[in-house]
Amino acid sequence: MATAAQRRIKSVSYAKYGYMFILPFFVVYFIFSFWPLIQTFILAFSENGSRTPGIIGFDNFKTILAKPAANDFKAMGIHKSFWDGMKNTVIIWCGNFLPQIALSLLLAVWFTDLRVKMPGKGFFKVVMYMPNIITAASVAGLFLSLFGDSAYSVVNTLRGCSMTKDQLLAAGLSAAPEPWKIITSCWPSRILVMFIQVWMWFGNTMIMLMSGIQGINESLFEAAEIDGANSTQTFWKITFPLLKTIMVYTLLTSMIGGLQMFDIPYMLHTGNVVNDYIKTVAVFIYEMFHGNFAKPSFGYSGAASVILFVITSILGALVFYVQRDKDAIEKKKKQKQAAKEWKRKQKGGGFSI
Amino acid sequence: MNKLKKSLALIATLAIASTAFYACGDTTDPAGSTAEESKTEESVEESTEESTEESTEESTEESTEESAASGENTVPETGDKLSILCWTGDDVEKMIENFTDNTDYTADQVEYVNVGSSGGEAREQYANYFAGDEDVDLFVLEADWILDYINNDDYTAPLSNLGFSESDFDGCYDYTVSIGTDNNGVLKAASWQSTPGGYVYRTDLAEEYLGAKTPDEMQEFVKDWDTFTATAKKLQDDGHKIAMADTLGGMWQVWQYNRSNAWLDADNKLIVDDYCKTYADLAKEYYTNGYVTKEDQWSDGWYAIGQDDSTMGYFFCTWCLGKGSMLSNAEGGEGGKTYGKYNITAGPSGWAWGGSWLALSPKCDNGEIAHDFINYFTVDASTAKDYALFKSEFVNNPDAMKAIVDEGSNKNDLLGGQDQFSVLYESASTIDMDGKITAFDSQIKDAFNTAVTKYAKGDIASYDDMITEFKTEAAKIEGITVE
Repeated sequence: MATAAQRRIKSVSYAKYGYMFILPFFVVYFIFSFWPLIQTFILAFSENGSRTPGIIGFDNFKTILAKPAANDFKAMGIHKSFWDGMKNTVIIWCGNFLPQIALSLLLAVWFTDLRVKMPGKGFFKVVMYMPNIITAASVAGLFLSLFGDSAYSVVNTLRGCSMTKDQLLAAGLSAAPEPWKIITSCWPSRILVMFIQVWMWFGNTMIMLMSGIQGINESLFEAAEIDGANSTQTFWKITFPLLKTIMVYTLLTSMIGGLQMFDIPYMLHTGNVVNDYIKTVAVFIYEMFHGNFAKPSFGYSGAASVILFVITSILGALVFYVQRDKDAIEKKKKQKQAAKEWKRKQKGGGFSI
Repeated sequence: MNKLKKSLALIATLAIASTAFYACGDTTDPAGSTAEESKTEESVEESTEESTEESTEESTEESTEESAASGENTVPETGDKLSILCWTGDDVEKMIENFTDNTDYTADQVEYVNVGSSGGEAREQYANYFAGDEDVDLFVLEADWILDYINNDDYTAPLSNLGFSESDFDGCYDYTVSIGTDNNGVLKAASWQSTPGGYVYRTDLAEEYLGAKTPDEMQEFVKDWDTFTATAKKLQDDGHKIAMADTLGGMWQVWQYNRSNAWLDADNKLIVDDYCKTYADLAKEYYTNGYVTKEDQWSDGWYAIGQDDSTMGYFFCTWCLGKGSMLSNAEGGEGGKTYGKYNITAGPSGWAWGGSWLALSPKCDNGEIAHDFINYFTVDASTAKDYALFKSEFVNNPDAMKAIVDEGSNKNDLLGGQDQFSVLYESASTIDMDGKITAFDSQIKDAFNTAVTKYAKGDIASYDDMITEFKTEAAKIEGITVE
């Protein structure tokens, strides 16, 4: 029998304060994240060309996914833009992720290696993280003036494209070289975007991997050193396997971010029109609902977003499936089996194997 | 005590969370903190009390006379400030300055509200802005998308609400009135400018390379497109390595104006005619032979070519020729390398580029001053003339412009003292954009220009491929059909 005091103490519940503290987050989340998410799904099944669209069913998905008839320019335009966008997104993401992870991993290992006594580590870490702090708009502006199509961009000026007639005479040239059109050419523009993405994000990834490496028990490295393992062996036998979880996390976040890549591809152009070769799916989505003020295509945007959502979910699940901890699953299975066995024995009807 | 701590913590959390909402606040407010605003509101109230007493007496006298002729001003008079929305202060700020200098209204009573950094943005921002409860009285519309707004009664109110009748605008260029009229024949917007364009060229280079000493002599070298091409060829053959036209974008503005068809027919079907082919081939010829520079319009390079002898001239229209405008940038500003070394001629064909209209919001709550503002810049020839000289603007009033041309009082320093109005006055009277603009022009134009540029560059091999690409791109625009 509990005393009155004990009962009182038992009845003091702190749970409600916890709920109160997290309430603001949930309110904000529901208004700004959850409702828009639901709304996107509704829009995916809505008609185009109206600010208050009605539901039309699966037509938007059909237009985007099915092969259009040869003379149906509208379906062709939508279908082609979406798949071109998809292609560009995948190409740019691959060309961004692979070099980025390699570079970040290398730097992370160097920065955490006990044997490397490098002065000014902190300085380098800060400098390498710096590009991530600059806004994408400034970065796009910066690279436009460096690598722009104009004869007056830095690269073309260095090549002498903007030389005046007198300067040409002085240099003994008959004509100035043709300016490189990096921004409006297919592969150069893609490579430039890949480079910008790597440059902006490798510092971030490096910091993440470093924290992963520092989470590994130091005695393992010491033991390896005592056993005479060299750096390569230490990396492949200890660091890399134990870094798997953080690598999966990096892969996943980078993939989700990569599929939604928008800012740099959207802003890296002059004039009014976004360059076709770096137009990603996110840019397509934006243009569809944004370009046409009086008759916005909310339906196509919504449908493309949902398709992107499904692709992201599948890829995410796939990554988790491939990277799942096989030993743990095996162990669990065995445990279950043992429990079953034991139960059967308890019933008395069984026999031991 | 514990309770106090908890509630304090809760309040702190809520306070932090509430900052998440802060960014959603009013971004359109031009550099004004709320504290500042409330202060100015107070002072406005004070000053309006004084000034309205004087000014309303005078102006009501005027406007009652007018309204006897042209209807009542039914817009309420409850607001304290005339808010004019636009995406750039280039025009509106100058207009407000000129308006408040020459009327009894004070600068506190008229306010310019910036809604975006480009016309395309403003097109969307307006709708968002109207949905809120901010003050909006007048707003500026651009030729490319004016039809979106004047055909929507939620966004624009008839100018007759302010007491205007159509006959009030008899003194304006006809085409500006018909574009400002919606599908039901209701006048919804009035323009303060007409936008004829010409060919602006380097006087020093024209004399050196072509021997043309005056604009009239230069006009002989550019009088039509064949002659223009021949001149471009001559410059290349003589080894001058100079283009005749600034950019493909600039050339297209001239050509686009001279199309005989609108982009869409009555059923909103895209029209691709022979004219497209003629232009595409010309663009390719110009681009490959260096008759036009390889820079993009609206880029930094567009201005740089104006100072380093890369181009003989630009296709510029009225609003490119004022202080701080495109021509000024192309000359490198005051004291720039080519400052004042340009002159203007009519060029190979008459053309006009864009134009802006003032429209009335249904939410307008400053009827009196809104009426006077529109009246000042569009109806009243004498004030319009004053503004023309003040801003170097080609105002929407042939009589006012004629008077300026006859007086010869306008001297444009950017053009070495030449009067651009005398050159453009003739072509202004021939402008006819009525029926040639559609609600989708800006997007169709972009799609066509992009396709042509790719064709000229050689990214697209044949004209047919180019048209397919153009059609595919244009077909994405909801509301038009492509076959």
